[in-house]
Amino acid sequence: MTVCRKAAFVLACAPLLVLAAPAGAQQPAGEPQHKGKEILMAKCFQCHTDSMWRDARQDSRAWEAALYRMVGRGGLWTTEEIKLMADFLGTEFGPNAKPAAPQQR
Amino acid sequence: MRELVADYLAKRISRRGFVSGLTKAGLTMTAAQSVLSSVSSVTYAQTGPTPPPAAAAAPAAAAGPVKAFQGTGGAAFAEQLVATGVKYIFGNSASEDAQFYEALVDRPQLKYVLTPHEGPGAAMAAGYCKASGEPTIVMQAGVVGLANAVGQIFNAFKEQTPLVVYSYRTDQTRRAGRDGFEEVANQEQMLQPITKYTWLARRADMIPETVRRAFKASWTPPYGPSYISWHSDFNDERARTEIIPQNQFDPRMRVRPNPDDVQRAAKLLVEAQMPLMIVGDEVYKAKAAAKAVKLAELLGMAVTQVRQLYANFPESHPLWVGNVPAGTLASLTWPKNADVVINVGNKLQHNGPAPIVPRGRAFIDMRIDHGSIGNVMLTEVPLVADVGYGLDDLIDAVEQLLTPALRKKTAERADEIKKFSTQARALRAGIVNGPDWDQAPTIADRLTWEVAQFADQDAIIVHEAGSVALHSFNFNPLGGRELFFYYGAHLGSGVGTAAGVKLARPNQQVICLVGDGSFIFGPTALWNMARLQLPVITVVYNNHAYGGPHSRVINNVPSGRMVQTNQFVHDYLGSPDMDMASIAKGFGVDGEVVQNPAQLREALARARKHTVEGKPYLLDVQVARKGIGWKDKPWIPPIQVAEMRTRKV
Repeated sequence: MTVCRKAAFVLACAPLLVLAAPAGAQQPAGEPQHKGKEILMAKCFQCHTDSMWRDARQDSRAWEAALYRMVGRGGLWTTEEIKLMADFLGTEFGPNAKPAAPQQR
Repeated sequence: MRELVADYLAKRISRRGFVSGLTKAGLTMTAAQSVLSSVSSVTYAQTGPTPPPAAAAAPAAAAGPVKAFQGTGGAAFAEQLVATGVKYIFGNSASEDAQFYEALVDRPQLKYVLTPHEGPGAAMAAGYCKASGEPTIVMQAGVVGLANAVGQIFNAFKEQTPLVVYSYRTDQTRRAGRDGFEEVANQEQMLQPITKYTWLARRADMIPETVRRAFKASWTPPYGPSYISWHSDFNDERARTEIIPQNQFDPRMRVRPNPDDVQRAAKLLVEAQMPLMIVGDEVYKAKAAAKAVKLAELLGMAVTQVRQLYANFPESHPLWVGNVPAGTLASLTWPKNADVVINVGNKLQHNGPAPIVPRGRAFIDMRIDHGSIGNVMLTEVPLVADVGYGLDDLIDAVEQLLTPALRKKTAERADEIKKFSTQARALRAGIVNGPDWDQAPTIADRLTWEVAQFADQDAIIVHEAGSVALHSFNFNPLGGRELFFYYGAHLGSGVGTAAGVKLARPNQQVICLVGDGSFIFGPTALWNMARLQLPVITVVYNNHAYGGPHSRVINNVPSGRMVQTNQFVHDYLGSPDMDMASIAKGFGVDGEVVQNPAQLREALARARKHTVEGKPYLLDVQVARKGIGWKDKPWIPPIQVAEMRTRKV
């Protein structure tokens, strides 16, 4: 991988890095990743980054409703996958999570 | 009758009087028009102003289908429209077109649809054009009316609709350039970036030729709008000219692809491990959906579509893997490993920096719109063709290359695709399990789903609810439900388009889905629905907001001050809430407000009852605002003038 390609790769992954360090609790090193986070990173980021929802703070039920809204837009997920993603989001981006830090421009 | 002819030739009676006399003598209107037509050529030979020698030469040579004509420029305009096959004219009042209106009186085959605003009027014309496949023209009053229509002409340009537009130049030839009332210099230049062809007729006798060129330019693929104009006094001036039928000046050229390129494409496709086909609007326009199905089935090839106006492939077909959800093929859930991609008739308009077809895949691009081939994607095989012919040739070439072993491979691949598409359909159907499904106000997905359950199996869905995801309809261009979406996105097209579609297809159910923001840009076409008895069901997704712009600014400025303060200046349309059902009533269309999902089915049933009786109906469905930063009562900029006054007047 050339230097340029490495730079491009890092930039492309920037949204993922943001998601990997949400405003909520940090994941302790060595602990397995939440299954819902794995699904989310594999299936949501094929269409968009987290910039359109990273400011949302809501409970799991509301996240579940948001994920079902994506079904009509082409999101192909099982009920179980939606539950897992909603559980993760409701924890990390729940009503009591800290607001996201403003982007530097 | 002989006396009548003599009176007409001697100009003792008008054209109108001549026709009237013939019908009183017992001729039908059609027969009277026929007599008028044959007598007109005699009239031309005997009378009329003396044209310059150059202009006189052409009519003298007129023969066969070419008809010599003498009369006002406005009448020549009307006569050429008749010969072009135009049935409907969409226009807004224009006093300088008086001679044209005069000519319409005795040409009942030209039906003039008065539209109370030029924008929805042009949308209606475009809708008629798209749904009928027949030529039409939209006309406005000079530059002032034209300016109102420009947005919809832009839509026609982006969507490649063969719409012909006319407006006169307000300045007459002998006072042009003096900054007169409603005059602007070179008004045709306003249209040049958004039309295929613009022209200003220089003489009255050039009006028919200008009209013919406009229709030919618009209807020669790739389609697009044309704009024609002339000084308004040419409409009043008498001229000798030629009238030529449409089939003589517009042969509707169809192009076959290069045979060598067809062979190369066929070889790539049969040797592919996972070929993928993108379909686009040229398939619908060429009526080639059955051929696209045949090619896909022959190759065991997955099929998808990037945003277009029409649904170009049956969505219930086992090889259909769904629309591309985001900007590029990479957003498809499956297949991820397509090694050869063929595009059939999709313009592939990019809204992002990444190519829709990612690098590293062999790409075959079959389109008549050759101008945009190769602009972004690396193209291994360009196939410039009418996609109907192109698919015919490619199917033949593929059939010749398919060995029994390859046929076995394609059948296995088809099974693999079917397995995915069956699973995908089941997952999409799961949308009804969302926790907000029964909430009030209704969520947009529930409304869409209810309409999809309600719609006829051959309904036409006109969709201008930009923020609403369209699902559950199972569109099928082969005799099933059809979609008329948009690409230009100059808002206010939906209601007009639906009216035009219904005019073209009166025997199919037409349902217009429109957001409140879009609706309010173009409700005047409701009046046309009422006047013309166009029984369209209009469903307004009324969340009292611009939902799309709300989400997009947050996407553009995440975690910014707008989000922190919940102060969005640009998106909330409530306070006061607009009542679309009352607006509809003002235009003569019955309707009702639907507050929650429980009321939906009965409301839709009432809509159906109205349409069966020949009347349009509107449902103003209160829809929930969803997304970050929405409150029950959103903040609005504090501008209330009443309290700022120092005099209570």
